[in-house]
Amino acid sequence: MNFIFDNNTPIYLQLVKQLKIHIVSGKLKPGERLPSVRDLSLELKVNPNTLQKSLFELEEMGLIFTERTNGKFVTGDSQLIEKYRKEYAHLLCQDFVLSMQELGFSKDETIHYLENGGN
Amino acid sequence: MELLKCVNLSKQFGKKTVLNNVNLTIPRGKIIGLLGKNGTGKSTLIKLMNDLLTPTEGEVLINGQKVGVESKKVIAYLPERTYLDKSMTVDSVVKFFAKFYSDFDTEKAYKLLNDLDLDVNQKLTKMSKGMQEKVQLVLVMSRKAELYILDEPLGGVDPATRDYILDTILSNFADGASVIISTHLISDIERILDEVIFINKGEIVLTGATEELRGREGESIDEIFRRMFKC
Amino acid sequence: MLKHLLEYDFKSKFKVLIIFYALATFFALLTRIFFSFENSLVLYIIAQVCSGVTISMVFNILINNIMRMWARFRTNFYGDESYLTHTLPVSKTTHYLSKFICASVSFLVSFAFIGVALFVAYYSEENIQIIKSLILPLAQTYDSSIGGLIIVLLLILYLEFFNILQCGFTGIILGHRMQSGKVGFSVLYGFIVYSASQTAVLVAMFIVALFNNDAMNLFVTNEMVDIGILKFFIIFAIIIYTLISVVLCFINIKLFKKGVNVD
Repeated sequence: MNFIFDNNTPIYLQLVKQLKIHIVSGKLKPGERLPSVRDLSLELKVNPNTLQKSLFELEEMGLIFTERTNGKFVTGDSQLIEKYRKEYAHLLCQDFVLSMQELGFSKDETIHYLENGGN
Repeated sequence: MELLKCVNLSKQFGKKTVLNNVNLTIPRGKIIGLLGKNGTGKSTLIKLMNDLLTPTEGEVLINGQKVGVESKKVIAYLPERTYLDKSMTVDSVVKFFAKFYSDFDTEKAYKLLNDLDLDVNQKLTKMSKGMQEKVQLVLVMSRKAELYILDEPLGGVDPATRDYILDTILSNFADGASVIISTHLISDIERILDEVIFINKGEIVLTGATEELRGREGESIDEIFRRMFKC
Repeated sequence: MLKHLLEYDFKSKFKVLIIFYALATFFALLTRIFFSFENSLVLYIIAQVCSGVTISMVFNILINNIMRMWARFRTNFYGDESYLTHTLPVSKTTHYLSKFICASVSFLVSFAFIGVALFVAYYSEENIQIIKSLILPLAQTYDSSIGGLIIVLLLILYLEFFNILQCGFTGIILGHRMQSGKVGFSVLYGFIVYSASQTAVLVAMFIVALFNNDAMNLFVTNEMVDIGILKFFIIFAIIIYTLISVVLCFINIKLFKKGVNVD
């Protein structure tokens, strides 16, 4: 996993976001076992306590769960994953449309850009 | 009981006050950055924790006891300088440490030395300063201490070794152990820090959790530092 | 812990001393060999040279023994190596005792090797007679055997060396406590402590003399004195020197325990 971090905002928020994206995009498959906190913090080069906090958040969201002796796993609940995926798509679109509006493009022009893949 | 506590700690050298009324607590299980410009008292504070200096006022308590034989058993200290007996070989130094520290992991030491391409049978006099510093790092990291104190571990090291050092710190970070890293190279390490202590002109000017500071100020620790200590 | 420190200290000390021991013995052997050729002037001259070197090796052993102990005390406790020394989980008392024991043993061994070297180089019926003729009157006057007298004198010499060593340690400790380790001050303080200890010996003897007229004669006349008194004083000197050694040891440990301020 190759995460890019920005030191100007809390790392744990960035971790939550990036892990969430990995899960909803399928890079981390449903039911897949996550590396241990120790191994993962080493891989990402972040503080283990910070990572622990972000994993806790993801657990609260239902995206991962902990099995006492076996470690942490991505949820098998594909409906939930899909829900979050759609949520993301929605947010991305909202952002996109708003940005285009700010630039002064009309709805039709925006759709035209979308259909032609940005060309 | 806190792992380490400084109570009204002051240090004067003649008329010069190097540390003034320092009060701080180091909790267990955290990686803490001791950040400050050169010559602001970081090394003095660290030396006081390690019985290399005696306080002019106040005291340092480790697990509730004054600095002494018991505290030295649980602290692994990496000084900024080369301090080993240079007439010894790497191997004899490893054996030396194993004799004095019951928490020393000899196997791990040899593995780390191997990772860093260091010849175990070479005399320290024949090694470059950089290599000697690597040996010293290995010795510290091979201990299962309660508190690791690293004084400028990244200064003068190439980027690859720097990464290796950070990796070793992270992987060594066993449950309950704390690490104090004193440095002025903040952006390199701020991602692994739980808490930071800013020290300036012998006084503590800021302590806090790194994430909290980032959230509150909207800046990296490096930026906050630059802002606070603008020349 | 003391055991490990001792191992480390002994290794460092004898690694160097052994060279001098070997050289002294080697030149002692040469001296004897060359002196055994009675009829050649050239060989006689070579023998004299070897003899001179042997003697200088003897001095070398003594001087090296004591000066290296001082130097090591300084580098171990106040130099760069102090960062290692003071962070080991070992009390300062143990650290000092290790140096103390190492010194006691190394002085004994050095004395022994010096004895061996001198014996090898110079032992002959002739020489023994010369020594006997010098010492016998003294021994006879003071009613003791030659061997006994020599042992007693060596013991006093040993204790004297040991006191000089410890005064040096005191000087180093004080020099660092009060003058941030400038060598000149360490030497000065060491010298002051040494003078004080020697004065203490004299004062102690004088106090005894106050209670004993015969003893007082030692101070006020230069006549030969009562055998008993002199014997007493020799034993007294040994006891006092030993006492001073112990006192210096205590003082040094106490000062050392107050802590160091390493650069």
